[in-house]
Amino acid sequence: MNAWYRNIDWLTVLSWLVLVGMGLVAIYSSTHGPGAEHLHASVQQNFYRQLAWLVVAAGVLAGMLLLTPRTLMLGAYPLYGLTLVLLVATIFMGREVGGGTRWLALGPIRLQASELAKVGTVLAVARLLSDRRAVSAQHLGYVLRAAALVAVPAVLVLLQNDTGTALVFIGLIPIVLFWGGLPVSLILLMLVPGLALYAGLLSVWAAVAVVVIFTAGMWIGTRHRLLTLLAGGLTTAAGAIASFALVHVLRPHQVARIISFTNPEAEEFRQGVGFHLVQSKAAIGSGGIWGKGFMEGTQTQGAYIPEQSTDFVFSVIAEEFGLVGGGLVLIVMGFFLLRLIKLGADSKHPFGSLVAAGAVGVYLIHTVINLGMVMGMMPVVGLPLPFLSYGGSALVSYTLLLAIVVSIHMRRDSLSIYGY
Amino acid sequence: MESYRLRVRLFAIAVLTVFFVLAGRLVYLQVFDSETYWGTSQSNAVRERPVMPARGALYDRGGTLLVDNAPNYTLMLTPRYVDEQTLPELAELLGVPDSVVTSRLQEARDWSSLRPSRVFSDLDFETYSRIQENLYRLPGVSFDVGARRRYHTPMKATHALGYVREIDQTRLARLRSEGYRPGDRIGITGIEAAFESELRGSYGSEFVVVDVRGMEVQSYRGGEEDRTPQSGYDLHLTIDHEVQALAESLFVNKRGAAVALDPSSGEIISFVSHPDYDLSLFASAVPGAVWDSLRSAPEDPLYNRATMSGFPPGSTWKPFMTLVGLEEGIIPENQLVNCPAGYRVGNRVFRNHQSKNHGRISLEKAMEVSCNTLYYDVMMKLDVNTWADWARKFGFGEHAPFDIGNQLPGLIPDSSYFNRTYGRWTAGYTVNLGIGQGDMSVTPLQMARYTAALANGGSLPSPHFVRYAEHPSTGERILAEPPPSSSIGVSPAYMDRVREGMRRVMESGTGQWLNIPGIESAGKTGTSQNPHGENHSVFIMFAPYDDPEIAIAVAVENAGYGGSVAGPIASFMAEQYLTGTIADTWERRYWMDRVINEERSEPLEQPEAPDETSPEDRQPEGAPGAVPVSHP
Repeated sequence: MNAWYRNIDWLTVLSWLVLVGMGLVAIYSSTHGPGAEHLHASVQQNFYRQLAWLVVAAGVLAGMLLLTPRTLMLGAYPLYGLTLVLLVATIFMGREVGGGTRWLALGPIRLQASELAKVGTVLAVARLLSDRRAVSAQHLGYVLRAAALVAVPAVLVLLQNDTGTALVFIGLIPIVLFWGGLPVSLILLMLVPGLALYAGLLSVWAAVAVVVIFTAGMWIGTRHRLLTLLAGGLTTAAGAIASFALVHVLRPHQVARIISFTNPEAEEFRQGVGFHLVQSKAAIGSGGIWGKGFMEGTQTQGAYIPEQSTDFVFSVIAEEFGLVGGGLVLIVMGFFLLRLIKLGADSKHPFGSLVAAGAVGVYLIHTVINLGMVMGMMPVVGLPLPFLSYGGSALVSYTLLLAIVVSIHMRRDSLSIYGY
Repeated sequence: MESYRLRVRLFAIAVLTVFFVLAGRLVYLQVFDSETYWGTSQSNAVRERPVMPARGALYDRGGTLLVDNAPNYTLMLTPRYVDEQTLPELAELLGVPDSVVTSRLQEARDWSSLRPSRVFSDLDFETYSRIQENLYRLPGVSFDVGARRRYHTPMKATHALGYVREIDQTRLARLRSEGYRPGDRIGITGIEAAFESELRGSYGSEFVVVDVRGMEVQSYRGGEEDRTPQSGYDLHLTIDHEVQALAESLFVNKRGAAVALDPSSGEIISFVSHPDYDLSLFASAVPGAVWDSLRSAPEDPLYNRATMSGFPPGSTWKPFMTLVGLEEGIIPENQLVNCPAGYRVGNRVFRNHQSKNHGRISLEKAMEVSCNTLYYDVMMKLDVNTWADWARKFGFGEHAPFDIGNQLPGLIPDSSYFNRTYGRWTAGYTVNLGIGQGDMSVTPLQMARYTAALANGGSLPSPHFVRYAEHPSTGERILAEPPPSSSIGVSPAYMDRVREGMRRVMESGTGQWLNIPGIESAGKTGTSQNPHGENHSVFIMFAPYDDPEIAIAVAVENAGYGGSVAGPIASFMAEQYLTGTIADTWERRYWMDRVINEERSEPLEQPEAPDETSPEDRQPEGAPGAVPVSHP
């Protein structure tokens, strides 16, 4: 028998540390430059607070390693329930800070329940789909129940105006169901309309191309009339909404928020809704290959990019460390996610592997939306970059999720597929 | 199980695809489109701030610092970033009522909301540092640190040094191509104006990172790309600040001018035009009331009497007439001359002072007693054009070579002048020119050159203020190269006799009470008759007699006899220059007391109407009424 720690996947833990470390460097740079005294008082202590949260997160990581997979499975639904209670409490008792994110004040600690809800939801869905009777996710009843498990917190965060987090929950559905065994055609049916929506924002022709290719592909792949009809119908609807209907449904300022990313430099956006993106792209682009140097980024030190220690932390790294630094973040994050997929695949028990898939889903959606936004490929949606962005609830929640994956993987042999 | 493996692979491929797309975007932004964003971020966050060079300092001939620069703090507000709630605190730090800050902010906002406006200028260092400490709590507040002139010695030398002022629109339009910017300070008069290009230096640049609110947060790239400003050259002047200060103090209650030269080089030891004003008034923005009082004062302190006022030289003209008489063969070289009580021209009789008959006396004695009739005779035997030619050889009637400011040529009449002015004229119109009266005028600067020529044996020096310009950091020196002295072309033997005559004036003549204790000198008093009021008091002097080091001309308007006002002033200046002090004898104490407390220019009666043009514009024309020219 190997010593227990031999079974910890140290590469994953190391990647996690590297990501958190790079985040800390960026947070330090954005709050300890020469212009620091001009920063808002609430931001100035971010580095030390994040450092403290890292200690908490490390404690959570260690603690989770002590729990057995069985305990975790048993805790899945109660945790999910607890997070729903917290979300509801937030709606009624939460304090709004800077439009969108809401906090629940627990003594000195400000808890962002939506972050914890991601963990609870992943566990609950994994618990549901690992049920023997589910026979993966192919049973329609389980699919709907899984979707419902995700939809409840999604609605609760939407009620808090937190579109970004809602997107994470919605995005989790196809990923977890895919892992659970739902046919690829159905998964694509969920994903591609989203793609058509995005394409429609860029141009009508891009949307048309998505519709045509996907519909044709669906027909060729399945020869199934209903599926093909659905494929054509859903993507056309999504593309049409993005291209034409948006303007009629939403108010002008909401439309501007959504479409400004396509040309943030335009006169009507530059000082308003496009400001974040103009500044963020200027920071990243001007960083070049080698970057401007630690604490030398003019955009960063001049605090041009709003939220630069939280959502826009990547622009700090890309400006000051250039393609080298930004590329390193992508490589480590990419490696980290692939590693988690491998941990999930190694797990012989569906709960372990589904939790891993859910965790990858959470991190992946965050990363895509966050980096897409920071690099000007997507509308500005407030979502942190996992492990790098400042934020205690987020760091602890994501680490908790990671810890559960690592913990289950460590004991992958003890959770027998026959054990339940 | 196969399907499960496939799904894992598909998932991994999807993740990889996403990351490739993100990486592609990153490469596109940072490699292919980097130039564009570099430009955006530079124009955004990096600001070039011009760094004003230090204006050159001024030193006197002994190396004493006269003028340098002191920092000058101006508070600026950028209305867009100002937090209205901090205004009471700002008002308290400034020590002004809240309403003042509020209204200034509104004015600034009316001009531009985004650009900083100069709102409170000339703050003292204490206020500046108090606000600076609290700056982080006062968004939109910044400082402009400029430099103003600081004057170190009690002397004023107003018209010599000149003042420096913020550049006006007219000059800016003309000088923009030479790198002047709004808010720059520029020399307007005197040495500050004449040597502007040497004193000014050239702008440097500082690149700073400004934050989103326009606050400077750090130097860009550690100052790697900054260009340091090139300071201007320091000017080492010929002025002696102690002689200058003494002379200014002696001019109390007087109008007039004094110019002291080193007779061999033409270096200006002292240059007084009185009344004057305090140059430090111009160090900061000049209040309108001060301007108005300077401009409307009847005695016109802005007017440079040393180079612009003309007056008849009176008896100080006699050394000139002696030389011309000798050179033209009118005065016999080796005989006594005649000095009767009166001299008849037509039906008028021109007389000596107090109608005294000196009889036949030596030429030197004639100067000693300031005989008039001899010079009437010389003038009558001299063609007025010949006389005028000689006067011009001595530098009269024309501009002197001079390194600063404006001059008037004065008036040296010739026959065409008389034809033009009077049509028909007789010898009676010109006879007064022989004793330095009548239709002629000279400036104090011209008189000083003339005195220097008498002192050095006949060469006319070029008066100048600057010995050399030295760069404060490189030590590089540029020597001033005034035009060389020009020889007048008078016989040294004649010159010796004139100098001897002037020595006797000081020994036993009209200047005998004005001797410098222990130093032999030469001089000539003059009382310039003025039909419009009290006579002008004039005196020329050089010392030591054997090897002159200083030549002085003093003219005091409407102050009476030359020996009692202009004379002691010149004598004290020479003494201060040669000995470094004023001897403590009863005679010197008496004269000092009398010059300071009793002698004065007769006050002007009616103030001139204030003039609409700006003073520096009207200086070339001068105040014509200051010293009227007397007519026969």
